[in-house]
Amino acid sequence: MTIRESKKLWLGYGLAMVWFYVLLWPLLGIKPEGLEFASSFAIWAKVAVSAGILLALYQIKRGGWLDFALRPAQALRETAASATAKVPTWIWLVLVAAGALAFPFVTERYAHDVAISVLVYICLGLGLNVVVGMAGLLDLGYIAFYGVGAYTYALLSVHYGLSFWLSLPIAGCFSAIAGCFIGYPTLRMRGDYLAIVTLGFGEIVRIVLNNWMSLTNGPNGILGIQPPGVYWWTDVGFKVIPLTGLEQFYYIILGLAVFTVVAVYRINTSRIGRAFEAVREDQTAAELMGVNTLRIKLLAYAMGAVFGGLAGAFFAARMRFISPESFTFIESAMVLAMVVLGGMGSIPGVILGSLALIALPEVFRGFELYRMLVFGGVMAIMMLVRPKGLWPAKRMGVRSEEKE
Amino acid sequence: MEFFFQQLVNGITLGGVYALVALGYTMVYGIIQLINFAHGEIYAAGGYMGVILISWLVSQGYPPFVCLSVALVLAMGYCALLAMAVEKLAYKPLRNSSRLSVLLSALGMSIFLQNGLMLTQGVYDRAYPGEMVQGGFEIGGAVVSYMQVVIVGITAFLLIALNVLVFKTRIGKAMRATAQDKTMSALVGINSSRIISLTFAIGAGLACAAGIMVGMYYGSVRYDMGFVPGIKAFSAAVLGGIGNITGAMLGGLIIGMIEVFAAGYISSEYKDVFAFIILIAVLYFMPTGIMGENVDDTRV
Amino acid sequence: MKRALTLISTLLLVAFMAFGCGGEKKDEKKAEAPKAGIKIGTLSPLTGQYAADGNDIKNGVLAAVEVMNAEMGPLGPVTVQAEDDACDPRQAVAAANKLISEKVTAVVGAYCSSATIPASEPLMAAKILMITPASTNEKVTESGLKYMFRTCGRDDDQSKAAVKFAVEHLKAKTIYLVDDKTTYSQGLADSVEKLAPGAGIKVLGHEHVNQGDKDYSAVLTKVKAAKPDVFYVSLQNSASAAPMLIQVARLGIKTKILAQDAVYHPQLMELAKDAAEGVYLTFGYTDKETPAYKQFYDTYKAKFGEPGAYSAYAYDSALAYLKAVKAAGGTDADKVNAEMRKVDFAGASKQIKYKENGDSGSNYVIQVVKGGKFENFWNPENGQLFSK
Repeated sequence: MTIRESKKLWLGYGLAMVWFYVLLWPLLGIKPEGLEFASSFAIWAKVAVSAGILLALYQIKRGGWLDFALRPAQALRETAASATAKVPTWIWLVLVAAGALAFPFVTERYAHDVAISVLVYICLGLGLNVVVGMAGLLDLGYIAFYGVGAYTYALLSVHYGLSFWLSLPIAGCFSAIAGCFIGYPTLRMRGDYLAIVTLGFGEIVRIVLNNWMSLTNGPNGILGIQPPGVYWWTDVGFKVIPLTGLEQFYYIILGLAVFTVVAVYRINTSRIGRAFEAVREDQTAAELMGVNTLRIKLLAYAMGAVFGGLAGAFFAARMRFISPESFTFIESAMVLAMVVLGGMGSIPGVILGSLALIALPEVFRGFELYRMLVFGGVMAIMMLVRPKGLWPAKRMGVRSEEKE
Repeated sequence: MEFFFQQLVNGITLGGVYALVALGYTMVYGIIQLINFAHGEIYAAGGYMGVILISWLVSQGYPPFVCLSVALVLAMGYCALLAMAVEKLAYKPLRNSSRLSVLLSALGMSIFLQNGLMLTQGVYDRAYPGEMVQGGFEIGGAVVSYMQVVIVGITAFLLIALNVLVFKTRIGKAMRATAQDKTMSALVGINSSRIISLTFAIGAGLACAAGIMVGMYYGSVRYDMGFVPGIKAFSAAVLGGIGNITGAMLGGLIIGMIEVFAAGYISSEYKDVFAFIILIAVLYFMPTGIMGENVDDTRV
Repeated sequence: MKRALTLISTLLLVAFMAFGCGGEKKDEKKAEAPKAGIKIGTLSPLTGQYAADGNDIKNGVLAAVEVMNAEMGPLGPVTVQAEDDACDPRQAVAAANKLISEKVTAVVGAYCSSATIPASEPLMAAKILMITPASTNEKVTESGLKYMFRTCGRDDDQSKAAVKFAVEHLKAKTIYLVDDKTTYSQGLADSVEKLAPGAGIKVLGHEHVNQGDKDYSAVLTKVKAAKPDVFYVSLQNSASAAPMLIQVARLGIKTKILAQDAVYHPQLMELAKDAAEGVYLTFGYTDKETPAYKQFYDTYKAKFGEPGAYSAYAYDSALAYLKAVKAAGGTDADKVNAEMRKVDFAGASKQIKYKENGDSGSNYVIQVVKGGKFENFWNPENGQLFSK
């Protein structure tokens, strides 16, 4: 690194720190009792020192003074990479599957609970991935389908005593219908107009759930939802046993997640998946090539909604209590964040994204009040470091921009 | 009739606030096609700066009018700096990435700023010191407080100032040029990076003014106060045709009016549903909003 | 694909290590020194919209632990693990499971009924006592949960007190209700709406506003046009009530305002200033002259500032639990559970005594805001004003 570059770097650092202090001090230092500098300076000094150390490390690394340590590490990483590359994919699959299956045996209930949440959000993320990642339709109200699925099972269970397994496909169907319903008026819109309309729909669903007292019991939510049961041999003969343990829920949602992964993978590689991609890349061209864009867009909404609905039905069965508070806009934003963070259109990416966004706030519980601050910061930084997502999708074919 | 006039006054006040916040969304969108999720937090930061500065100035014994105007100017400067910092840190490095990446970075910044405010200012509401402008008058049976007059007055002043800036000055011309075509405007010697920063600063200043006025009007501010008005203002910006400044003002007023009249005449619990249904209906028949130009085929 | 799988498996491994080993380590520690102290969990919204009330609850428990730590003898020391539920059912269950993993023996919380109800399930299954200082919904104790206690009053009792006050003291003929659509606020307003006609009060209207709204002008204009004798304000907390009171004053509505206990918070007067003057509210009777209250107030004030609506209830909840543990001589859930029903002491908020279903009874009185302070005003028991 040249001296000029280095100078520029540290000048930028100085400027940023002055800027930061100017922003921080008024928040902490101006009080009716008078002006005060100590408390803001203490925080500022901590941030400045840690940022300075990071910057110095960066410069040392760029200067090549860490090569003695980094080279062997790099070599090690390369050997590891080549070694892993030799292992066939199915071995990794088996390893992941074995890990996922064995998870409840080696961990305790808090970890189970987090794992269940992660898997629910994997289903949601993959469902939204169909809409956003594959078909390229920005959807800010996806959580509405989750809500529809959850309320469908809750109402069926409470009023008609329908079993979880029977309600699951019904919840999926209802969500698909809701998807078409929401999708239809948005077909003519593009880009951000679509975003606000879907956001509006999401809010409408939540407000209706919160106000339709006779159906949804409003903010009080629905209590007494039956857990899923299995028909199993007991002392008194075959009987339906309700599954209530966290491990059992874990395996159910694991199955649901695997189903979602396989289904989304199959959609992705099918004719319809190709049509989604065509609509995403260039709607006019796709139409010209004979893709019925209106139908394809509706299909994308409906398919995405089905997975949301399934996850919702599971959520209702697992919580055994639902209220509209679980279906707010911020949840939609979180699911979208998972898709974008992981890498749009990429299945492993979405899985990684869900893992990161659900597990991180739980890992950060140790920070207590700083939890969400750190989370927001990490989210922005991850995007800066990997703007295409943690594991970007491979595009099929060659696009015109790449050829140039 | 009394009832109608009163609701009209309510709607104009609310709509004016939405319009000010919506302008920030629409300007940023117009220039870099980004839904700036952190904008609502800038509005909240403005509300807090207002509390902090006004409390301090009042304790120093300045008269209310001086307190208000000095605090307004200083806080707007503060928010402009904050928004520029956010832009430099979280959006600028992503200028050439997919638009959703920037969206996510904006979401992250929004969470970060909201919690930053919570940690520095506490979880309790902060009260504005006394009512700066007291009293009111009656017109046609409707009560209008002077506070509302001040809000509408400041809003109108800022809107006119913005219009002059954007449509009558060289900077405004440069902003419009950058919004139309970044590459071409750079070719003719416009520093697009500086123009973008400036756009963020102006939008933030307006949101900040809205934050302070809302804080004074409702008596208190809280760290999460930016969220709901943020969504409403974003809807307003889209309703008017995102990227269009006149549209945002119109959209803000319309959303404010719909909310108040839906709550007044139909049902208070479903007022937001009506606002969104009208938004969707308008967009269904005018897919680019009321004043929107025909946008090109932009993808996510 | 392959690299992604590698990444996933590595992450899984890390997860194993983080959660798995963490658990083992804790088990080891436990084996070394069994029953090293008592660990109480708190479950309340420390972030989000109701963060203020959530922190009051946490602080109340911390104050109680500070007071009791000296008395616990060999059973101590008492530690507190505070978890955030953000008033969100999903996070509440996650936090409850976290507390179970952390081996707490009792949980004080939660604040929102919609967090208390789902969180109670894993806690009951793990035999952990749950004492809610704030969830006033009837369902909390009526679903027959064995280890559930409630230190605050119940919605149905509160609405009775409110209606009685409106009829007997305010001589009201008409009432207008507003709530903000939460389990608590709507439940209360509905209950008042149901009771009012029987007491000879005509309900002129019942409006709902959304949580997070600050502009109530449209609804208040309706109230103004209806000219009710009493305007019943049922909002989730003082922060939403303050702007409403300001706007009521601004619109020139002269009606008597009756609110409920969630509105009780010192910040109400700070935020609404003169507009809060003369507002009536139903609140659990607290004698602020008792030594128990003074001890609570001094401990709390020194560390956390003015106590909020639920600080004293949270304090008493923790106190009751620790007293029961002391009487039982250990933290065994069933023994403590039995002892909990025998506790009978003068707490900071009231005489603490739990019934068979876990309720501690309600003693709602009417308070009034006067001179920037809450004052006891009227007692529904005997229909008398409190003498100064």
